[in-house]
Amino acid sequence: MLDFFQAVSDGLLFGATYALIGIGFTLVFGVMHKLNLAYAAASIGAAYAGLLILQLGAGAPPWAVFLCAFLGGGVIGWLVYLTCFHFIPLSHQLAPLMSTVGMLLLIDEIIVHVTAGMPQNYPAMFDDVMLRAGGFTLRGDLLLVAGVSVLCMIGLLALLYRTRLGLATRAVSQQPVAAQLCGIRVARINALTFIITGLLGGIAGALIGASVGALSPLLTAPLTVKGLIVTVIGGLGSIPGAIVAGLLVGAFENVFQQFRGVTERDLYVMLLLFAFLVFRPGGLFAPKS
Amino acid sequence: MKTLALAVALALSTSAFAQEKTIRITGFGAKSGVVRSFGINSEAAMLAAADVINKEGGVRLADGSKAKVVVDFLDDRCNAEEGISVLRRIYGTDAVVAVGPTCSNVAEPLFGILQKKVDDKGDSGLQMPVFTDVAIKVGLAKISEWAFRNVPNETTMYSSLFYWLKTKYPNAKTVFGGVEEDFAHSRASWYAVMKDRAEANGYNVLGNSKWLLNDTNFATQVREMKNANADIVAISAHPFTTCGVLKEMQRQGVKPKVLVGLTSSSSLETLQGCAKQAEGMIIPTSFAPVTKEGKAAAETTAKFKGAADLHSMAAWENMFILKQVIESEKLSGDKAQLQADRRKIRDGLAKLKETKGLMGVTKRTDDREADKPYLFVHANKGEWKVLHNPL
Repeated sequence: MLDFFQAVSDGLLFGATYALIGIGFTLVFGVMHKLNLAYAAASIGAAYAGLLILQLGAGAPPWAVFLCAFLGGGVIGWLVYLTCFHFIPLSHQLAPLMSTVGMLLLIDEIIVHVTAGMPQNYPAMFDDVMLRAGGFTLRGDLLLVAGVSVLCMIGLLALLYRTRLGLATRAVSQQPVAAQLCGIRVARINALTFIITGLLGGIAGALIGASVGALSPLLTAPLTVKGLIVTVIGGLGSIPGAIVAGLLVGAFENVFQQFRGVTERDLYVMLLLFAFLVFRPGGLFAPKS
Repeated sequence: MKTLALAVALALSTSAFAQEKTIRITGFGAKSGVVRSFGINSEAAMLAAADVINKEGGVRLADGSKAKVVVDFLDDRCNAEEGISVLRRIYGTDAVVAVGPTCSNVAEPLFGILQKKVDDKGDSGLQMPVFTDVAIKVGLAKISEWAFRNVPNETTMYSSLFYWLKTKYPNAKTVFGGVEEDFAHSRASWYAVMKDRAEANGYNVLGNSKWLLNDTNFATQVREMKNANADIVAISAHPFTTCGVLKEMQRQGVKPKVLVGLTSSSSLETLQGCAKQAEGMIIPTSFAPVTKEGKAAAETTAKFKGAADLHSMAAWENMFILKQVIESEKLSGDKAQLQADRRKIRDGLAKLKETKGLMGVTKRTDDREADKPYLFVHANKGEWKVLHNPL
């Protein structure tokens, strides 16, 4: 029984990394009604960018790496917006979707070429902290990720509902033409959305790198898939939904692994996704239209 | 007058250049994706070896003339379909032999498109000698008589390792495995080699944990490992997940008496990813820069921006073995005789009973595999250091 609870808690905590990626997916979808499939790759790219600081100063502390990843994420987010959305006719539904697929592959290949595909050690925060209660343990670094996810959610909700930028963002999301007629610069709001999600992606990538302990191009594909699953299960456009779904997917994944083995694990996660698509297509927290 | 002399000199040198014979050897392997470093290192080793051969005059052909060795390297992305396509492309060039591939999941289907038995008129398979340097999964060369490998024999190496561990750690009685279930080499190496050899040496194998190549969370698997409380933990996985598992083992306080790793993990990647956690991990390998030749090969390969490891140095050795075969089989080097030259390479490789390697003499087996010398290395202060030489 202890193993079961341990598997659930491990999964819940690791699900926080999925939640962080899911938030980025859902924010862009909420504002632009478009999927940015390059988001997870851009987040990992930003985490790699964080390592650049170690090239400049070998003894740079982890927070400096995280800060560099945060800023790098913003820059990459803006570049993704420019290349995949700004110059591409958004009226063609498939065009931005395909351009983000291309960007995902491009970021992946750039990482592979720069690092020769070798895993890079990533500075950890609180990785030596383990909360223990008998045989039951909780990883300190994953608790940090979960905490940061909740803070990101609070920060984003505050930004969306308590600031003029948030008001403009919601206006663009709901009625882009009317927003434009009111003097809101839609392109600027869209770019800012990408920069904000990019900054968030930088944090997500760095925290994922820190919790895994290493960065590898192998991370991008599974994170993209899990991020999308989380976004759909949570409800497209719902930030709290992304967090709850991220934790749920992480927990289910671990439980399935515990009982059915690693080779069947993803099969059940996909079945869970299909179940949601059939019985609750709007997800757990479908935004009211 | 000066211009005329220059023109004549240029014409003569151009003519001489045009007459220079070449023998093309094409390497192929993964130069993109997460195993890109394997391709980079193999290519560098092949170019470095060709450079040494060419500086010594090149290879002697049937008519007594010398030819320079030209090396190309193509990317198969560690993908079976791409690998087959790349080999067909190589077949369409004047390459006399192909060296590769990197991945066992490419080698297996790729050997399948080669002619199974030479001179079988009913078999329209490709008649192209392939001399593998990296793909290590046990027993693949038997698929085709055109397939040859110069990769270490993992069965022999792990058998020897577990035998040695028996004497070195007499109190260690139990083994627990960790296996990257969706990667051909890792899977085959655990089930058919490590587990089998541990049992053959009298160890009690308590079980194994499984994970996938892309996995990042190993908490459940390491808990299984912890519950088993085995004396020896053997991890059959590539560096990325090996490092993930080692870090989780550290978190959960799993400290076996002995930690054994997969041959492919005795590389820079593991040390780059988790040198601290890998400390003490023992791996059998067919290369370490301990001989004069090995050191020189590693240094020359480094000049071509490659790292020397058991895989890339096999590519280096392949080049010198091929030089020997080209000369002993008297290749014409004539493009019109290309298929005959390819056949000579195949026959020459098949005849070899032993070859000279960087670590000593390599025995060739009847099923076109290699029985290479090996030693045991362990991770020690961020480096792979020789722990024991069983030979």
